[in-house]
Amino acid sequence: MAETRLFPDRPINVCVTGAAGQIAYSLLPLIAGGKVFGRHQPVSLRLLEIEAALPSLEGVVMELEDCAFPLLHSVFITSDAREAFRSCDVAVLLGAFPRKQGMERKDLLEKNAGIFKEQGEALNFEAAANVRVIVVGNPANTNAYVLKHFAPNVPEKNITALTRLDQNRAVSLVARKLGVPLSKVSDIYIWGNHSSTQYPDVLHGSVEGKGKLSDLLDKSYLEENFIPTIQKRGAAVIAARKMSSAMSAANAVCDHLHDWLLGSDSIVSMSVASDGSYGIERGTIFSFPLRCSRGGNYEIVKELQLDDFSQRYIKITAEELYAEKAEALALLS
Amino acid sequence: MSSLRHIRGLFRQFVNNSCSIKQDRVLSNSNYSSHGNFIVPSRGVQIYKGSGKDWLPTLHVAVTGAAGQIAYSLLPRIANGEMLGEDQPIVLHLLEVPQALSKLEGVVMELQDCAFPLVQGIVATDDLRKGFADVSVALLVGAKPRSQGMERKDLLSSNANIFAEQGKALNEVAANDLRVFVVGNPANTNALICAANAPRFNPERFMSMTRLDQNRTQYMLAEKAGCKIPEVDRVIVWGNHSSTQYPDITHARIKGESARKVINDEKWIREVMIPKVQQRGAEVIKARGASSAASAAAAVVDHMRDYWHGAGDRWCSVGIPSDGTYGIDEGLWYSVPVMCPGGHYRRILNLPIEEFSASMMEKSRKELVEERDAVRHLIPKEFGEKMYTAKKNAVTGAGKKAASK
Repeated sequence: MAETRLFPDRPINVCVTGAAGQIAYSLLPLIAGGKVFGRHQPVSLRLLEIEAALPSLEGVVMELEDCAFPLLHSVFITSDAREAFRSCDVAVLLGAFPRKQGMERKDLLEKNAGIFKEQGEALNFEAAANVRVIVVGNPANTNAYVLKHFAPNVPEKNITALTRLDQNRAVSLVARKLGVPLSKVSDIYIWGNHSSTQYPDVLHGSVEGKGKLSDLLDKSYLEENFIPTIQKRGAAVIAARKMSSAMSAANAVCDHLHDWLLGSDSIVSMSVASDGSYGIERGTIFSFPLRCSRGGNYEIVKELQLDDFSQRYIKITAEELYAEKAEALALLS
Repeated sequence: MSSLRHIRGLFRQFVNNSCSIKQDRVLSNSNYSSHGNFIVPSRGVQIYKGSGKDWLPTLHVAVTGAAGQIAYSLLPRIANGEMLGEDQPIVLHLLEVPQALSKLEGVVMELQDCAFPLVQGIVATDDLRKGFADVSVALLVGAKPRSQGMERKDLLSSNANIFAEQGKALNEVAANDLRVFVVGNPANTNALICAANAPRFNPERFMSMTRLDQNRTQYMLAEKAGCKIPEVDRVIVWGNHSSTQYPDITHARIKGESARKVINDEKWIREVMIPKVQQRGAEVIKARGASSAASAAAAVVDHMRDYWHGAGDRWCSVGIPSDGTYGIDEGLWYSVPVMCPGGHYRRILNLPIEEFSASMMEKSRKELVEERDAVRHLIPKEFGEKMYTAKKNAVTGAGKKAASK
């Protein structure tokens, strides 16, 4: 069965911001090596960095050259957001002020609102009509919301933020806890904000050949152990590595983009603009369970039963997002 | 000619052993006790039958220097199936020095957080015998870096000690179908020492990396000629993975034509291309402020993927024990061009060597002889004799008969 390319007659234009940073260093070989957009799809990279990081970015480009990737069609570097976003089909916004040990996410909000306003305006003007955007730089959901606010020409559905990392962490933890292979665990969803209020929901999940997670894991374990572990995993990795989680974040970006653009049989979690489902305010960038079909389309999975346990968590994370949203807009007006 | 039959017998035996990759192997669910090491198996090691994915039996893959920069770029690309295949489940064995174990813990956490379906378990330790147990693929990335004021001979001998110990451990506990790929510098001599201390294994299973230099040369040619990377082939890197390496494009082709004819600039080749490839590592350090981890990792993935699955009629450069051809002393680990039929390599022999090439290759040969002599005390006497006797009278015969198409 021949694998058809996403873009049969040209390379896919991918813009990556924060391109000299840690996540980009792990992600760019995955993009250029064909892992993200398909084994036969050539890629043109447009890499954006702040002026001061351009020499370092040149070193990254040298390394990309030295990899001799057959699929890498061209590399363009710039510190001008408009140039970077020109005609891009996919924008991967890694660049943001990085989290350091002890730093609260709210501190990031202020530093980043300005960055994402500028990038929203640039995207609005320069990107291809159907550009797909993934925001990774934290606070990802609110940065995506600011971006969306300033990019009205970009279809709302096309702007997403990363919670695949949390999904992967949750699936992995369940598999380790139950001593089963990862591939047998399914239907674990992330709701809400990519922050310590996220809700990793296992109550719809199951293990092939063993049964439902709602039977296998009791709620006290979830409340006291599982959920806090996933919520605070980012901080735990920083404590162990003294640096943010680059490898696993890059891997999650790869999974997110691959499943979104090429489609997936499984339900995946991404932060997307709410359409009012589950009582979440329209337009809020909120992580939902989604079905993705080839070509970059998704649908929120509707009518899932959410018991009081789940609804309690969802309320907390929704309110955090509404507050971040308001704070960000206030900072910018 | 009896020695020729002997070599053929060795090769056939080797090929037969390599077929054991596809046979079922039951692995014991051994309990490792941890004394400051930590083992993170997911329910021991199991063969997953009926997972509906047509997976091969699990392989154990070891990486030394596992908390370092190259490993950080390399490990996810092994675990996601790019190196050994998306149907090849693995157990990762991560080896480090004791001082790096807490950093390694962070790496293990991240690997877990990647939720790689192919990863059946992770072993993280500073104990060589635990780390190399049942291993079929050992990527020896870790080495002692040069510190300020360190003499080259001190660097050689401290690394030789490390690789001798690793060879001994591999000899004791590794799986029968072991392949070893040495990246840590000085790679060629480290591979020699390792092989010399692992007499259970045919030395041909030990390789050292020059794929990064090959990839760099291929890119430079493509850029100069204004063509795409896959349109450039038959680039060779001869010799030591050091500043005496010889990136040779005399046999290279661009879109099927002789690369030298297409480029038509001998001066550029000798005065620009060759020094640039030789010094590229330093150039990257200057720009990035850190050494070339991602491209080194990519080269490891490229080589092992080609070696494992086969590379058709593409030429790959790799440091392997010399069989005496091309005027290289037997038993020196010297980078030469090979083809990869799948499972092993096959030397490309009888290539015409011009005067300039010969002089460049000789420089590298001399350096490797010096390196070997500096660490001779770590090469068991039996190893030298075994290698040289087996091949001694068969060189020309093997050379003529084994010439590839």
